[in-house]
Amino acid sequence: MFYFYKKIIFQFLVFIVSVGYLVTAFNIGNPMLDGRLQPSFFPLIIGSLAVLFSGILLFKEWLLVKSGAADSGDESSPYAAPILVLLIFIYILAFSAIGYFIPSALFVFSMMLLFSEKKKIAQKAVISIVIATLGYLVFELLFGVRLPTLRG
Amino acid sequence: MEFIILVASSFTKLLDPVVLAYVIAGFIIGTIFSAIPGLTATLALALLLPLTYSLDVTIALMACASIYMAGMCGGSITATTINIPGAPSSMMTALDGYPLQKQGKGALALGHAAIGSMAGGAIGAMLLIGLAPFIAEASLLVQTTGKFSLLAFAMVVIVIAQRGKVIKAAMAACIGLMLATIGLDAMEPVTRFTFGFSSLTAGIDLMPVIIGTFAISEILMQAGAAKEDRKMTEAMSAVKIRRRDFIPPLSSIREIGLACYIKSSLIGYSVGTLPGAGGSMGSFLAYVETVRTSPNPESYGKGNPKGIAASESANNAVCGGALVPMLTFGIPGDPITAIMLGVLVINGIQPGPQLMAGQADLIAPVLASLLFSAVVLIPLTLFLLGPYFIKIVSIRKDILYGSIALLAVVGSYVATYSTFQMMMALVLGVLAYYMRKNDFPVVTMLLGFILGPNLEEFLRRSLALSNGNPMTFFTSLDSLFFVILTLVFVYFLAIKKPLQKPTGAAQSA
Repeated sequence: MFYFYKKIIFQFLVFIVSVGYLVTAFNIGNPMLDGRLQPSFFPLIIGSLAVLFSGILLFKEWLLVKSGAADSGDESSPYAAPILVLLIFIYILAFSAIGYFIPSALFVFSMMLLFSEKKKIAQKAVISIVIATLGYLVFELLFGVRLPTLRG
Repeated sequence: MEFIILVASSFTKLLDPVVLAYVIAGFIIGTIFSAIPGLTATLALALLLPLTYSLDVTIALMACASIYMAGMCGGSITATTINIPGAPSSMMTALDGYPLQKQGKGALALGHAAIGSMAGGAIGAMLLIGLAPFIAEASLLVQTTGKFSLLAFAMVVIVIAQRGKVIKAAMAACIGLMLATIGLDAMEPVTRFTFGFSSLTAGIDLMPVIIGTFAISEILMQAGAAKEDRKMTEAMSAVKIRRRDFIPPLSSIREIGLACYIKSSLIGYSVGTLPGAGGSMGSFLAYVETVRTSPNPESYGKGNPKGIAASESANNAVCGGALVPMLTFGIPGDPITAIMLGVLVINGIQPGPQLMAGQADLIAPVLASLLFSAVVLIPLTLFLLGPYFIKIVSIRKDILYGSIALLAVVGSYVATYSTFQMMMALVLGVLAYYMRKNDFPVVTMLLGFILGPNLEEFLRRSLALSNGNPMTFFTSLDSLFFVILTLVFVYFLAIKKPLQKPTGAAQSA
């Protein structure tokens, strides 16, 4: 049942964002001035369409939940994606603070653990370092991209 | 004729070992990514997009063309050997490919798939080379109001092509358009939807949108899936393929017939020109047509090589077709042409009607690379790498996704050397992930984002020219043409009853 609510929560969020977009578009200013279209004109059209479509989708999803006819939930792990988002977020912060190499090797290592069983840890650590090094070679040496380092 | 000569002379570029190396590397990467179920050539291109910054734009586009061609045929490898299409465009190939594999003729099926891909790819590329200059010339006749109606037509077709989820596609397009309106207005010095973030004043860069939509969301999708598909690994380890079995006997090719290759390629090419249609629709329609006109329709789905030929010819011909609207009007038809358009934009080249006229020397090598990939690289890759395909696609998931994640996140940094773009890619990746989980077509969002700025600009200009009178869209001839075309497509794609999938297709899809 929680899966059904998760689906309706997403549709609800899309609806709220659409309404927020439309309200912000209204605040930009008049859509027309002296017969000329203003910057708010196009966002007002898009916002109105978005509210309409998201409203229809929300209503349809609500009907499905109400009738209990929503499709069965997916079997994917509910925590893997949020953990991965958190990992990427931490990696980006570490990337700008302490440079490319150490955060990248740790990031690849944690990704490998996430995508496999927690066995052969030493092997995975070595592979992570190799991947981070290869990434460095590809970006910095082959394609001339200046990656951040500890020294900035 | 001048353009054809230019394309012919562009083949000499492939004699440069560096250019050839990039084209071959692109083809191999495209083949591997499209062969591994879960990965796509689009993902490969999204990951490699940041690297195009340091490349010559011609070489980058030539490599993109070879990835595109490889992406259409690579999916047939796992479709045939383990009945899991590596790419959606090879869905119909599995119907006859896998039964042949079960009969011990998997290599033969791959051989037929390669010949079909080669024929379709070559016909599609040649049609593109022959027709694109005329379409480009005609596109110069389209005025401002016509340009708006054309873009609106493209948006409508992209949305209604998503049969069964049109409202979700429309909402996805709106999300793309909403993202496109963030930043400084194109005609007035007014910022919109920046909420005080100065980094958003210039708008959202295309790079984090592409990487977020196709790379980060894909990693998030895979992270939630089962850790190891044991069944698939076992099926792969059981497959044995020998190089000598790849070449189909001439009698078998004659039995399929030249007409089948040409007809399927023409279907694929035509479908490719429609925004949002893609390789899977092309191969589906060609397969259905082949079954419909066959004297032995009951033999399909049981290992008929003609089914493989029809499907593969069509999906590779789509490449040529999809490049027509991209090169002549600046309208991408699918994710790959959208990313190719991104390569142009990143390099400061304005796509649109003037592109073919003003930058023919840039476009000609791309088409030469497309034709070269179809005629030379498809058969060569199969013959040289064929026996090792299964080993290649059985690569460990943890290593694969670890590397992809690193490339994706660091790649988004390359555009502006700013961690803000990396965060943007993450945010858009999360958005695309939840959209995919809720069955929203993310490609529609991307196309909305790409077409949005021009759509707004031409709408405002058209109405400014007509003093705010919307009737201008019906009184201007070029605009009226696209309005009528939109209505025709809405009737055929959204109102008229759709074709039913063959039974076997439904089982495998």
